[in-house]
Amino acid sequence: MFEATRINHKNLSRQNMFRLLLGGMTALLILPVILVLGTLIYKGAPVISFEFLFANPTNGMTAGGIFPALLGTILLVIVALLASVPLGVAAAIYLSEYAPDNWFTRAINIAIINLAGVPSIVHALFGLGAFVIFFRFGTSILAASLTLAIMTLPVVIVATRESLQAVPMAFREACWNMGATRWQTIRRIVLPNAVTGILTGVILEVSRTAGETAPIMFTGAVFFLPFLPQGVFDQTMALSLHLFVVSTQVPEMPEAVPYGVALVLIALVLLMNSVSIALRMYLRGKKKW
Amino acid sequence: MLKRNAFLLGTAITASLLLTACGGGQDRQVIQNKGSDTLVNVAQAWAEAYQKVDPATVVAVSGGGSGTGIAALINGTVDIANASRAMKDKEIKLARDGGHDPIEHIVGYDALAVYLHADNPLTDISIEQLAQIYGDGGTFLKWTDLGVEVPGCKDQEIVVISRQNNSGTFAYFRKTILGKGDFRLGTRDMHGSKDVVDLVENTACAIGYSGLAYATDHLKLACISQQTGGECTSPSVATASDRSYPIARPLFMYTSGEPTGYVGEYLNWIKSNEGQCIILKKGYAPATDVSCD
Repeated sequence: MFEATRINHKNLSRQNMFRLLLGGMTALLILPVILVLGTLIYKGAPVISFEFLFANPTNGMTAGGIFPALLGTILLVIVALLASVPLGVAAAIYLSEYAPDNWFTRAINIAIINLAGVPSIVHALFGLGAFVIFFRFGTSILAASLTLAIMTLPVVIVATRESLQAVPMAFREACWNMGATRWQTIRRIVLPNAVTGILTGVILEVSRTAGETAPIMFTGAVFFLPFLPQGVFDQTMALSLHLFVVSTQVPEMPEAVPYGVALVLIALVLLMNSVSIALRMYLRGKKKW
Repeated sequence: MLKRNAFLLGTAITASLLLTACGGGQDRQVIQNKGSDTLVNVAQAWAEAYQKVDPATVVAVSGGGSGTGIAALINGTVDIANASRAMKDKEIKLARDGGHDPIEHIVGYDALAVYLHADNPLTDISIEQLAQIYGDGGTFLKWTDLGVEVPGCKDQEIVVISRQNNSGTFAYFRKTILGKGDFRLGTRDMHGSKDVVDLVENTACAIGYSGLAYATDHLKLACISQQTGGECTSPSVATASDRSYPIARPLFMYTSGEPTGYVGEYLNWIKSNEGQCIILKKGYAPATDVSCD
């Protein structure tokens, strides 16, 4: 017959104490999210309307809607994704599947890690010098999106490389033994198994791209533009910059407007993310291991 | 061989991206207008109103600070730079070296108001006193040093609010109040005129400065005198216009070379009665005598 000794009791109560402590810490993590979302919804929801989302701003930005900024942010994110996803995935495939482990590859890896640590304002100045002035794209969606793409490239590369490396080596070896080439193996076996991880990287990139202000401030986003962008060489308004200016510069701005803009920005990011999350779940369901 | 294929694929993707990027027609003229945060609201109001005057010309407005606008003029990325301070000789030289000859246009005047909390009993303040509060080595650290006691302000310590250093407001205030001196350490540097006003509104101990256009009913505007005890002048559009208010500054727009074509027409419209009435409505003093309804 088992009888709990004092040591058993002590261990058990300690176990319970830590479970509670760690659980409490986890609960604390959710608190800021709830507070931020709660405040935004409470203060911002009253201004959200069809007009707010789909009309042009009027009367010195204090009335009307934010459609040009909303559209601008979507465009910036799409063009940035078009540039960074192919480039980042290609680089990650090469680094993970082809590159020999030598000083050059290690140098590239270090460069990627460093690129991830560069502050966004430095990317902004790089984008201004490189895309706006040197490549003569002018302040445009193209210049801003390419700046955002370079900023988020490390996220895509690292996420893709990690998901490629998570595919068991045995899969590749089995494939090679059947006489498949490296590319056939990548195309048929490695990539399909890694795609969920790649999408995770894309999700992270979307959130960061849509929220950044500094990189687009000098390269393509403007506070006010009386027309909608027609192509990638036009400038655009953007939600993040709009939020920054209406909350710091515009007197007599109704208090609910900045909250409303912030709410729309967050909702947009969540919406874009949920598309990739849904896709990811669908693909994961098809996974056979 | 396989490596080459992968490389070719990458090149093809990049090339197709660049090709799709080259669309987009350009049948309208776009004026790039960037700079001073003080002017950004007026610039936006002008741009909004100008759509009705000339629908074929559109004005893209962004802020960032006078320094940002002037830097953009030097780089040649704007048509009109907004500035709430004059360009420095060094900046003019830099612009000329790059083939841009900056032409100055005064588009209005701005009274820089000294903001106090609504409960602050102080009514007037002199330039000397401001220098003691804001300057490096200044001796006024508490409101009691100015002979007042601010209700609700713990320890009576002055909370000194300033602006970030690429702001034209910052540069003008420093030159006018501190001369060649520097700001004291420990000022709260805000990134916008509205931020300064918001903070002063909610902080009993605070003193801050910003354009008069940002004034609200919830705070106090100090009456400014040259010497302590001297006659003071309150900030207003009228005292800024006749330059009797000691810290009123001209607001500038800079163009590269004498403006011609649609940029010239836009600037002429800004200086016209219609344009000047807009700046007046925004709380600034017009550059010329105007009659508005």
